[in-house]
Amino acid sequence: MRSITLCFILLNLLASGLPAQEEHTFDLSEIEKKAFQFNGYLEFRPVLFGLDRDSWLYKIKFYDFEKRETISEYNFNALLDASYEKGIIRAKIRTNTDITKSISGWSHETALYEALLSVKPSLSLHLDIGKKRMKWGKGYVWNPVAFIDRPKNPNDPDLALEGYAVFSIDYIISFQGKLKTITFTPVLLPVYDHVNSDFGEQKKINFGGKVYFLLYDTDIDFMFLSGGSMPARYGLDFSRNITSNFEIHGEFAYIPDYSKKVFQEDGTVGEEKYASTNYLLGIRFLTKTNTTFFFEYLKKGNGYTSNEMECFSSLIDQAYQSYLLTGNDSQLKFLSSATSQAYRTFAPMQDYIYLRINQKEPWNILYFIPSFTSIFNLTDKSFSLTPELLYSPITNLEFRMKITVLLGKGGSEFGEKQNDFRLEFRGRYYF
Amino acid sequence: MKKIAIVFLMLFLLSPVFAIDNTQLLKQMDRNLNPESFESYRKLINIEPNGREKEFVLFTVKKGKDKIAALFISPASEKGRSTLRLDENMWLYIPNVGKPVRITSLQSVVGGVFNNADILRLDYAEEYDVVEVEDLGDEYLMHLKAKTNSVAYDQLRMWADKKKNLPNKIECLTETSMLIKTIYFKQIKDFGGGVVRPSVIETDSPLHQGYKSVMIFAGIKQREFKDEVFTLPFLPNLESLR
Repeated sequence: MRSITLCFILLNLLASGLPAQEEHTFDLSEIEKKAFQFNGYLEFRPVLFGLDRDSWLYKIKFYDFEKRETISEYNFNALLDASYEKGIIRAKIRTNTDITKSISGWSHETALYEALLSVKPSLSLHLDIGKKRMKWGKGYVWNPVAFIDRPKNPNDPDLALEGYAVFSIDYIISFQGKLKTITFTPVLLPVYDHVNSDFGEQKKINFGGKVYFLLYDTDIDFMFLSGGSMPARYGLDFSRNITSNFEIHGEFAYIPDYSKKVFQEDGTVGEEKYASTNYLLGIRFLTKTNTTFFFEYLKKGNGYTSNEMECFSSLIDQAYQSYLLTGNDSQLKFLSSATSQAYRTFAPMQDYIYLRINQKEPWNILYFIPSFTSIFNLTDKSFSLTPELLYSPITNLEFRMKITVLLGKGGSEFGEKQNDFRLEFRGRYYF
Repeated sequence: MKKIAIVFLMLFLLSPVFAIDNTQLLKQMDRNLNPESFESYRKLINIEPNGREKEFVLFTVKKGKDKIAALFISPASEKGRSTLRLDENMWLYIPNVGKPVRITSLQSVVGGVFNNADILRLDYAEEYDVVEVEDLGDEYLMHLKAKTNSVAYDQLRMWADKKKNLPNKIECLTETSMLIKTIYFKQIKDFGGGVVRPSVIETDSPLHQGYKSVMIFAGIKQREFKDEVFTLPFLPNLESLR
């Protein structure tokens, strides 16, 4: 009873905060610029998974674990940024550390997300060498033209991601008139044993580039990537405000010699070569009541068809039955190896819709944003629903609670995920 | 009858002159508030009815009539975020998310009563026409009308100090004359370089009863910038201007 009372008092303190200062002041000495800066966040994220024991992802991942209805996972995360700036030179490092307590026990991983040396000889010219994200594309969830970036997690598109080691230049030119800006961004991306080894074929130096225009109040980019680690690709994107509260954006990518690895009925892996076209169209709309609608449609020409997914699914079923009969899990291990990564990635199929509705600060509750998100696979009619609450009652402290429910018939993408639902809490402290 | 016609004719001929004078008055007020190109530091404070407060510090740079950018210096959760406005286009850059996304003038990147149009404000004379000026003795009351429908507030009623030609209070209204918010200008301060203006701006809104937002200026000084500063690729580098 005493602890409940204490909790109540604490919550009340959180809600009421400190009493207002009589006089607000602001002095320039408060914000003196420091050459060395260190920031980041610490995060605690417990997750409860409601398992779907008939799904093929469950069979691949948990076939040798005790059967359960739910499992819990405790994630501790630290994202650390350090930078040093002197004159025209700036060095920056970003690391990400994950410590997880899951059904498999404790595990931890630290990754160098960024390590970058930037030189700015002038306001128009920036040179970067090191690991960074290029951040190409205008889509909120998916970016078909992000040729030099790891894919975002559609369930958390704002998450920090690991970059690639590159040498890049930004050269900016400004104009008066309808054409306001042009920026050239050439990029070199080497792929060797210890540098960007997961990008594609090794011992290659890839060359890419982007040209950005701000023309007639429209952001327009043209981009390409070539060099051999992956098939050459070409793209364009755009973004424009039609009215002050209505934005449209789009991306288009063309890969003339795309090569897709496809599992055959006999369990072997074949390769299909064809010209792949991927594109995205999206809108963002803000109502007078401060409700924002995000809508995106993704057409992924290099995704899998229903038949290809069903074939992969039946291979898993066969491998699982074989494991139950013989105890031999080699086929299951093969199906969960890197070869099948493309089947298990975010949005592995061809047609998707993303819808997110968020309401900023309803009932005058400041820094409180409830939202609702759905990802719909148009090919197999399976989908996810995610209601979410985000609240930052205290400076630098943020809480998020969300539950994702996955729905779809057997054989469909969301119907065959390892979970039926995922309940997640996130507490994050910025410093 | 002839006399009346002459008076009307004279009024008709003189009315554009008054309009020009009134526009000039507004333009002069814009210059009194800040140089056309400048840098400034501002603290934004959102105050809730229960007394809870949240503070944000921004470094702002502006050039000419239509270019303005702001960088969040604190708190840590917002540090590195930056916003850019080119005429009616607005973008927000969030370091983790990466690419700048388009935002609208009615949204608020900080929450509270100030919206993006208040934080990335261009000169009043750029966005509004003077419809009428009333003489109230020590003050005059200016009635302003938005030049386009993409401006955040359709109408402004501005009470200004006649001697200093600086605003004391502004009411922001919709097309139907509904009051959205009231902005109060307080504590005139000499920032140096000839900039003498209110250092505190407060706002409240009937749409957010009991809530208040305050903007405090700690430094405003004239500074020239190249156009390249006001581009999307430069947004992640705004800090280098400090």
